[in-house]
Amino acid sequence: MATGMGRRFRSRYAVLAGLLASVGIFGLMAFAPSAAQADSTTTTISTAAPNPYGSAAAPSQSVPTTTTTLATSSGPSDYGTVSVILPESFIAPGQALFDASCASCHGNDASGTARAPNLQGLGAGTVDFWVSTGRMPLADSSVQPAEKPPRFNRTETLEIAAFVQSQTPGIGVPVPAVNLSNANLEMGGSLFTLNCAACHTITGAGDALAGGAYAPSLHLATPTQIIEAIRSGPANMPRFGPGNITDAEAHDIAAYVAGPIQHPNDRGGFGLGGIGPVGEGFVGLLLGVGLLMLVAFWIGDRT
Amino acid sequence: MSDESLKAPTLSKVSVEDPHLQPYAKNPGRVEAASAALMVLGFLGFIGFGITYWISDQTQWEAATLGGGMLALGAGLIAWGKYLMAQGPFVEERHEFHSTEEERDAMSAAIVERGGMVVQRRKVLFGLFGLGATTLGVVLIFPLVRSLGPKPGRDLFATNWKNNSQLVTSTGRAVRASDLEAGGVLTVFPKGFEGSSPDQTILIRLAQLGPDDPPLQLDPPGRTEWGVQGYVAFSKMCTHLGCPVGLYQERTQQLVCPCHQSIFNVKSGCIPEFGPAPRPLPQLPLKVDNAGYLRSQGGYNQAVGPGFWERP
Amino acid sequence: MIDSSLRWVDDRLGIAKGGRVFLDKIFPDHWSFMLGEIALYSFVVLLGTGVFLSLYYIPSAHEVIYHGSYLPLNGQKVSEAYSSSVGLSFDVKSGLLMRQAHHWSADIFLGSIAVHMARVFFTGAFRKPREFNWLVGVTMLLLGIVNGFLGYSLPDDLVSGTGIRIAYSIIESIPLVGSYLGFFLFGGNYPGNGVIIPRFFIIHVLIIPVIIGGLLAAHLGLLVKQKHTQFKGPGKTEHNVVGSPMFPTFIAKTTGYLFMITAVTFLLAGFAQINPIWQFGQYEPYQISYAVQPDWYMGWLDGALRIMPSWEWVGWGHTWPLEVFLPAVLFPGIIFNIFFVWPFYEARHTKDLAYHNLLDRPRDRPKRTGAGAMMLMLMFMVFAASSTDVMANFFQIELNYVLWFFRIAVPVIPIITYFVTVKICEEMRAAEGIGKRKRANVVLRSETGEYSTIESDARPGDGHEELEAVPVPTFIDMVPEELATGPGIRRVMR
Repeated sequence: MATGMGRRFRSRYAVLAGLLASVGIFGLMAFAPSAAQADSTTTTISTAAPNPYGSAAAPSQSVPTTTTTLATSSGPSDYGTVSVILPESFIAPGQALFDASCASCHGNDASGTARAPNLQGLGAGTVDFWVSTGRMPLADSSVQPAEKPPRFNRTETLEIAAFVQSQTPGIGVPVPAVNLSNANLEMGGSLFTLNCAACHTITGAGDALAGGAYAPSLHLATPTQIIEAIRSGPANMPRFGPGNITDAEAHDIAAYVAGPIQHPNDRGGFGLGGIGPVGEGFVGLLLGVGLLMLVAFWIGDRT
Repeated sequence: MSDESLKAPTLSKVSVEDPHLQPYAKNPGRVEAASAALMVLGFLGFIGFGITYWISDQTQWEAATLGGGMLALGAGLIAWGKYLMAQGPFVEERHEFHSTEEERDAMSAAIVERGGMVVQRRKVLFGLFGLGATTLGVVLIFPLVRSLGPKPGRDLFATNWKNNSQLVTSTGRAVRASDLEAGGVLTVFPKGFEGSSPDQTILIRLAQLGPDDPPLQLDPPGRTEWGVQGYVAFSKMCTHLGCPVGLYQERTQQLVCPCHQSIFNVKSGCIPEFGPAPRPLPQLPLKVDNAGYLRSQGGYNQAVGPGFWERP
Repeated sequence: MIDSSLRWVDDRLGIAKGGRVFLDKIFPDHWSFMLGEIALYSFVVLLGTGVFLSLYYIPSAHEVIYHGSYLPLNGQKVSEAYSSSVGLSFDVKSGLLMRQAHHWSADIFLGSIAVHMARVFFTGAFRKPREFNWLVGVTMLLLGIVNGFLGYSLPDDLVSGTGIRIAYSIIESIPLVGSYLGFFLFGGNYPGNGVIIPRFFIIHVLIIPVIIGGLLAAHLGLLVKQKHTQFKGPGKTEHNVVGSPMFPTFIAKTTGYLFMITAVTFLLAGFAQINPIWQFGQYEPYQISYAVQPDWYMGWLDGALRIMPSWEWVGWGHTWPLEVFLPAVLFPGIIFNIFFVWPFYEARHTKDLAYHNLLDRPRDRPKRTGAGAMMLMLMFMVFAASSTDVMANFFQIELNYVLWFFRIAVPVIPIITYFVTVKICEEMRAAEGIGKRKRANVVLRSETGEYSTIESDARPGDGHEELEAVPVPTFIDMVPEELATGPGIRRVMR
C-alpha cells in the first residue's frame, strides 16, 4: 500500500483489525462449528448397529441377543420384541461394583435411601443409560447430573445393570438391542420434531428448562442411550412407552439423531453452533458490518 | 471555448502539474503495481468462479472465488481512487436552500390568489367535488380490506372438540388408556381433525392409575372429574401468543412454553406460575369408553389460545 | 468520440450543463459518511439475489411430496414453498450461495442502516434542512425490518412459522379490530386458508421493494440537492463542501466499495451457514422447537415480549391483552414515533431554527449524545432479553433469574447509560488536546541536574498537510509548460 500513510496506517489498522478478528473468531468459536464443511448431499447412517458390548473390552462370556419379550406382571405394558437379556453371570460382579460405587447412596439392594431414589423396578436399560453416559456415579446431587466420561467400561456397566434388574426380575426398561438397518429417517425426523424438539431444540443442541433443569445436547448420545432415554424418561424427560412410541419408531428416532442431528448437513458453511439467529446476528453484525466499517475507515478520511 | 451564456467564473483551466491533481500516494508506481496485482487477482477469482460453477457447484468454492475475486477487484479500484487519482481537496459552494422572498411571495400568490378566485366564485362546485373525492377514498378502502378474508364470528371460540370426541394422534391413531406410561406425554386431536391448529391438545399421564383406583386429585375444585386414570389434557396453544406448549417437565410436572418460557403447573389446571402467559391453558375433560379408548366429555369451556378483544 | 456522442445526446436532452454540475459534485471524504453506502449496496445485492430466488421459489402453501436431494425429507408432505426453498438449497446450481447471500445481505442491510442512523443522529445531520431525509430514512428502516420478517417467513419452515404464529397473535391483541384484522389478513382462523404465503410473497418482492426504491431515490435526490454535510475543519464553512469530485474519484471509490460489500456478503454466504431450513423441517402449527428466536432486527420485540409481566386485563366486557399489546405494538410504536419526531423535538427544545451544514462532534452535544446512547442501550438490552434461554444454558444460571435480571436491567441500565454518557462527553470537552494524537514528552536534564520536559515535535505524517481547497477544474492543460516540443524530445503524460 501507499507509504504516504506510513506508521499511522499500520498501527491503527493493526489494533482495530486485531480486535475485530479476535471478537469474530471468539464469536465463531463460542458458537462451536458443529460439523465439517464437506458438501455431502446424502446423509450417511451406519447400517450396522454399533456393537453395544464393545469391541475393545470383550465380555467374559458371550452375551446372547435373543429376541424375547419380558415377562410382565402388573407392570407397564409390553416393551416390545427386541431387547437384550443380560446373562446371570453378570449379577455377582455387578453386585460387587454396585456395593463399591452406588450402595452408599442407593442402598445395598438398590431400594434407595434419603440421599438417592429407589432403583428397583426401573430396569437394566435405565441403569445402563445413567451409568454409560457418566451421569452416575454422581458427586453432587444438588444440580442436574451432567454427562461426563463414564466411570465404568461397557461390561462393568452391564453387570451393574444386571444386578439392579435382578432385584425385580422382568420389570422395568430393558437394554435395547439396537439395529438401525431398517430405520426410516423421514419418520424419525417427523417423530423427533413432534416429541423431542420442544425440549432439545430442532438441531439437538439442548437448552435451559425451568427451575435450573436443562435438556442436554444430543450430540454425544449413542443409539442405545437414545432408546433407553426415550423409554425411561430420565430426570425431567417424559417417559415414552411402547404404547406411545413403538420399538420401530424409537429406532427411527435413534437413527435420525445419529444421522442428521449428530452429523448435520452443513453445506452452507460453518454451523455457528446450530442455535439459529442469535449466532447469525452476532456474525452478521460483527463480521459483516464490522468488516465493512473497517473498509470505510480505510477508504475515507479520519478528520 | 466558452459560450457567453456560461459565466466565466464557473469554468477554469488548471495545469496538469497543479498539486491538487497529483496522486495522494508518495510512491504512485508502487501503489499502481499493488492495485494492478489486486485486479489481476480479481480477474483470476472470477475465472475461478466460472470454472467452479461448471465443475462442482460447491458452495464454499463458489463463495471463495466469487467473493475473493470481488474483494480483490474492489480493493484495487479503491486503491486507485484513493491513492492515484487527483488528491484535491476540492470545494464547491452551496446555494441558498430557500428561494428569494420575491419568488416565495409569487408562489404563495399563485395558489392563494388564483385558487382563491376560483374557489370563491364556485364554492358549491368545490364542496361537491370534495365530497365526491372523500367518499371515493372511503369506499375504496372496503374492497382493499374487507375482501381479504372472513369475519371472525364465533370461530375463535369454538374448537372441534365435542362430547365423545375420540382422541387420536397426529397420524390418526386412536389413543387407548393403556398407551401412556406415568410421565408420558402425547399430542392429540379430535378424530377427523388431525393436525388442526385450534384443536391441538396435549395429553399427559400424571400417574399410572387403573379404572378401579381412586382418581388423581386435581386443582382447581371440580377438575378431578376432568381427569381419568391419571390422564389430563390441556389445550396445547399457549395463552400468551399461541405457540405449541410442547415442553413437559416430568419431575416438576410443569409445562413450559418454548417461545417465551411461560411455566404452567399441570396438576393445578395449568395455572401460569411464571412468565408472560396471562391465563391457564384451557383443560379438556376426559373419559374412557367401554373399549378402553380415551374420549372427551365435551369441548373446551372457553376460547383457546391468546387473548383478543371479544374474549369475555 | 466521446465528444461527438455527448453532443448527439445533448442535442436531444440538453444534459451538458446539468451533467457537468453533477460530475463536479463534491463529496466530503470522512469515512463515517460511507456507512449509508453499505445499506445502499446491500439493497442492490438484495435486489439481484432476490430476482434469482424469485425465479425458483414457489409461493404456495399447497401440499406436495418432497422428492429432492435431501434424503431425511424424502417422501414427506411439505408445502410447495418449503419444497422449493429446500430445492433452491440443494438442487439449483449456486442456489444455496444466492439464498444465503440474500439472507446475509438482509442482516447487513439492516445493521448498516442502524449504524448509519446512529452516525446521522450523533452528528446532528438530521437538523434543518435535512428533516425530510431523516423521515425518509426512518421509514426505510421500518419497511426494511418488515420486509426482512416477511422474507425469512417465506420458506414456511418450523422456525419462521413459529414467528408467523406470534405475529398473528400480536395482530389479534389489538383492541377492537384485532381479531378482524387477523382473520382478514390470514383468510380465517390461524393458520388461515393458506393465502398468507402468497400474500407475504407479493408484499416482500413487489410492494415493499417498490416503496423502498422510491424512498431511496428521494433519499439520494435530497442528498444531491442539499449536498452532504461535513465536519468542521480548516477551509470548511456552512456555505461550502470540501472533498472529492463525483467523477472520477468518488465513483471509483464507491464502485470499489460496492464490490467489497458484495464480496463480504458472498464470503459470508459461502462460509457461514444461515437459516438451514432443511434441518428445521416443514412448519406445522402444533410443532415447535426450543431456542427459537427471530432474526436479530426483530429480536428487540421478542425480548420485550419475554420480559413483560402477564398483565392481561379483563374489564368492561372485553379482554385487553396488554401483555402482548404493550410490548409488541405500543412499545415499537412509541420508539418509532420518537425516531420520527426527534428533529422537530430537538429544534423546539434547543430553540435552534438555523440551517446546519456543519456537523457536531458528539461530545459537543452531551444531552443528545446521551439520549442516543440511552436508546442504543435500551435496544441492546431488550435485544439481549430475547435470548434468555440461550443465556441461561450458556452461563448455567437458572432461567427465572435471567428473566428477572432483564426485567430490572431493561428499564434501569439505559437510564444509567444516559447519565454516564453525558458525564463522559462533558469530561471529554473539558480535557485539553482531546482527540489529537498525544505528543511525547522529551525529558531534558540541565547541566546542574534539573529535569525539565518539553513536548516533542510532531511526528512525520502527523497532522498531514492539507492543501487549500480549490474548485474542480473544468479543463486540464495536459501539456506541462516546461516540456517544449522539439526533435528528440518525447512528451510523456501521466
